[in-house]
Amino acid sequence: MPQTGVTRRRFLKDGVLMPLALALAGGSISALFLRSADARGFYLRPPGAVEEGRFLGACIKCGKCAQACPYNSIRMAGADAGIGIGTPHIIARQEPCRLCPDIPCAKVCPSGALDAKLENVEKIRMGTAVIVDRENCLSLRGLRCEVCYRQCPLIDKAITIEARHNPRTGVHSIMEPVVHRDKCVGCGICENACVRDKPVIVVMKSPPLQKDYYEF
Amino acid sequence: MNFKWWPIRRFVQLSAVVLIASPLMGLNIFRGNLAGGELFGFSLIDPLAFLQATVASRIFVAPFLGAALVVAAFYFLLGGRTFCAWVCPVGLITELNDRLRRSLATGERRLPLSASRWSLVVVIVVSFLAGVPLFEIISPIGMTTRALMFRDWLTLLMLVSICAVEVAIARRVWCRSLCPLGGFYSLLGRFSPLRIHFSEQLCTHCGECTRICPHEEVLLPSLDHDCSHIYSGDCTRCCDCIDICPTKALSVHVIYK
Repeated sequence: MPQTGVTRRRFLKDGVLMPLALALAGGSISALFLRSADARGFYLRPPGAVEEGRFLGACIKCGKCAQACPYNSIRMAGADAGIGIGTPHIIARQEPCRLCPDIPCAKVCPSGALDAKLENVEKIRMGTAVIVDRENCLSLRGLRCEVCYRQCPLIDKAITIEARHNPRTGVHSIMEPVVHRDKCVGCGICENACVRDKPVIVVMKSPPLQKDYYEF
Repeated sequence: MNFKWWPIRRFVQLSAVVLIASPLMGLNIFRGNLAGGELFGFSLIDPLAFLQATVASRIFVAPFLGAALVVAAFYFLLGGRTFCAWVCPVGLITELNDRLRRSLATGERRLPLSASRWSLVVVIVVSFLAGVPLFEIISPIGMTTRALMFRDWLTLLMLVSICAVEVAIARRVWCRSLCPLGGFYSLLGRFSPLRIHFSEQLCTHCGECTRICPHEEVLLPSLDHDCSHIYSGDCTRCCDCIDICPTKALSVHVIYK
């Protein structure tokens, strides 16, 4: 039998243990990172967050904002957020931002990812609430729901009720909740409060407040 | 009196873990993690996290720089990679993991220590170009500390994969050669006043120190050419060599000049 210099022990260590370790290492990292991300592609960031691209650059993932949040609204993203792993975000349907007057989360941010100088909660712009499912909105079907409007911390500013004729019955009104994007802070309280199983009003990325029409 | 450094070092390492987990226990001493924290209300920032976030976002916050400089000055005075051996929770885990590797007698391969400096360069350049702090995304330190802070145990898979590679393939490869934070602190450690002193009169060249040292290359200039101090910035000042030396040829020394 020819001597190859490869002992059984050496073979087990190099030929079996090493591939096993690499498989375990690769498997662990894949299990961590390769998971389906939020289909909306929008993360509701804590109050005072700078524009998303810069936010991802500036956040050092220290978690102080999440620790400062008295309602535990702020969660740290897992690896399903891809490069956003470890960044803070709010899942409005679980616990929305309750707009603390002193904004404790933004105050503790060291890196400028959240604007620590933010004072006025009405200046917060996390996103904008949008009624995404008009067919299932009870108010738009003619019922007196209006829960989003009642719950809105900026009631009659960010959400107003506009009454119009209900053509379906011919005699009733439709009390439509209307979101005003220049006032809505995107706290997600309406999304959280929506009585439907799937919220018909959700917070989405704010449209840039730039005039796209001609003013006469 | 047989003084040993390792119980003190283990105590400091465990204290760091307890501090990071302390907000969950309702204590109000420490907030945040090792990238950015607040000890008794005093802000502390990992200097590498500051560098990455600043070059990635192009946002400059003066107190952020101040807190990073305080931490950089602290580790400079105490030896740079002191962070790796005394504070970093990943260092603690890989150190214990290395005992397992020793008992299995596997994974003897080594990558050069200088690779961590290249890793640092890659992290800074990619952070600047891509606009995201590269190391903070893959950092097992961040993942481990967040796991402690928020009970997000899934992210510990990163630590599992590091331990698997270190046991079976290359010894302490993450801490020695891949971690850019280690590379960063090795630059501070190169010029730090706190050093391990080597006495050639007392040394018997038994080689115990090179067997225990995680970065044994740093001992070679002293053992081969009788340098009076360990000059390499890659020395973590873990003091394991001092504890193991049978003739007390090694000691902690502060150089003033």
